[in-house]
Amino acid sequence: MSKQEQLQQILSELKAALPELKEIIVASPDGLPVAQLAESEIATRLAAMAATAHGLGKRISTTTQLGNLQEIVIRGDQAYFLAYAIGDKGILGFTTPAGSNLGLVRLEAQEYARRLAEVL
Amino acid sequence: MEPLKVIVTGPVGAGKSTLIRTLSETEVVDTDAVATEAIGKATTTVALDHGTLRLDGQLLHLFGTPGQDRFDFMWEILSKGALGILLMVRADRPKTIPAARNILDFVVSRTPVPHVVGVTHLDQPRVWQPEEIALFLGTPLERVVGFDPRKPEEAARPLARLLELIGTESV
Ligand SMILES: Nc1nc2c(ncn2[C@@H]2O[C@H](COP(=O)(O)OP(=O)(O)OP(=O)(O)O)[C@@H](O)[C@H]2O)c(=O)[nH]1
Ligand SMILES: [Mg+2]
Repeated sequence: MSKQEQLQQILSELKAALPELKEIIVASPDGLPVAQLAESEIATRLAAMAATAHGLGKRISTTTQLGNLQEIVIRGDQAYFLAYAIGDKGILGFTTPAGSNLGLVRLEAQEYARRLAEVL
Repeated sequence: MEPLKVIVTGPVGAGKSTLIRTLSETEVVDTDAVATEAIGKATTTVALDHGTLRLDGQLLHLFGTPGQDRFDFMWEILSKGALGILLMVRADRPKTIPAARNILDFVVSRTPVPHVVGVTHLDQPRVWQPEEIALFLGTPLERVVGFDPRKPEEAARPLARLLELIGTESV
């Protein structure tokens, strides 16, 4: 399997584990879409925004001494956008509806981010 | 005097982050991430650069943008409330000048304030002269300033020009 196929495979498994997730993307640190379960235009946009949010989040964590950035949470009244660092190789981002079990989503997302890190 | 917000924008590699690092008197916020494309340098700005400096008694807040089109939402966010625009262009990469024009149109259409064009990399071989860049962008030549953003003694030059313009007119 190519690297691309492996990444897609991992995203499909994540989607199977958490079916409520929508628009799942893997972005490079500089905001290019590397793998996605989303319509391509949205994936391109979200990949850039995930890199922006992550870049800024890192600076905020340094400035306010939060330690290493673990998670970005954007909370709307209808859904969340969550993003996780894939080591220093990229970012895993997705949307999930309000009312999702965030504790579970977090655990799974971190596990999948680790798996993605091995492939990237 | 109120602090004055200036947006520093332009295509990849023009020297926006370099300028803010050279000039800022306060700790710089930069958000460079590893570049995974061949852009001629190791990192690229993904969110913003921020720095401040005092010029002729005026406190300036410099907000640098990313250069790549996929971050155009940051051009929009960062241009809000700006009173001047510094558009940076690489003289040795004429192919990026249409992108510079595109960024300028994008920003000016949302935030119609004066702009100055800062031309960098003039020390490189085979460059476009500021006159040619002025012509291409349709910017009057007196608003086009050649300079090297790595050099502290030159870096404030286009900002001084911009302050004059902001002082004398509204657009
Ligand atoms: N030779 C030469 N090098 C320059 C000059 N100005 C800037 N540089 C170099 O060009 C590069 C510019 O990089 P950055 O400051 O990261 O460019 P940027 O505009 O912030 O780029 P993005 O954030 O990727 O859009 C740096 O390596 C600078 O040292 C110049 O006038 N001459
Ligand atoms: Mg930059």
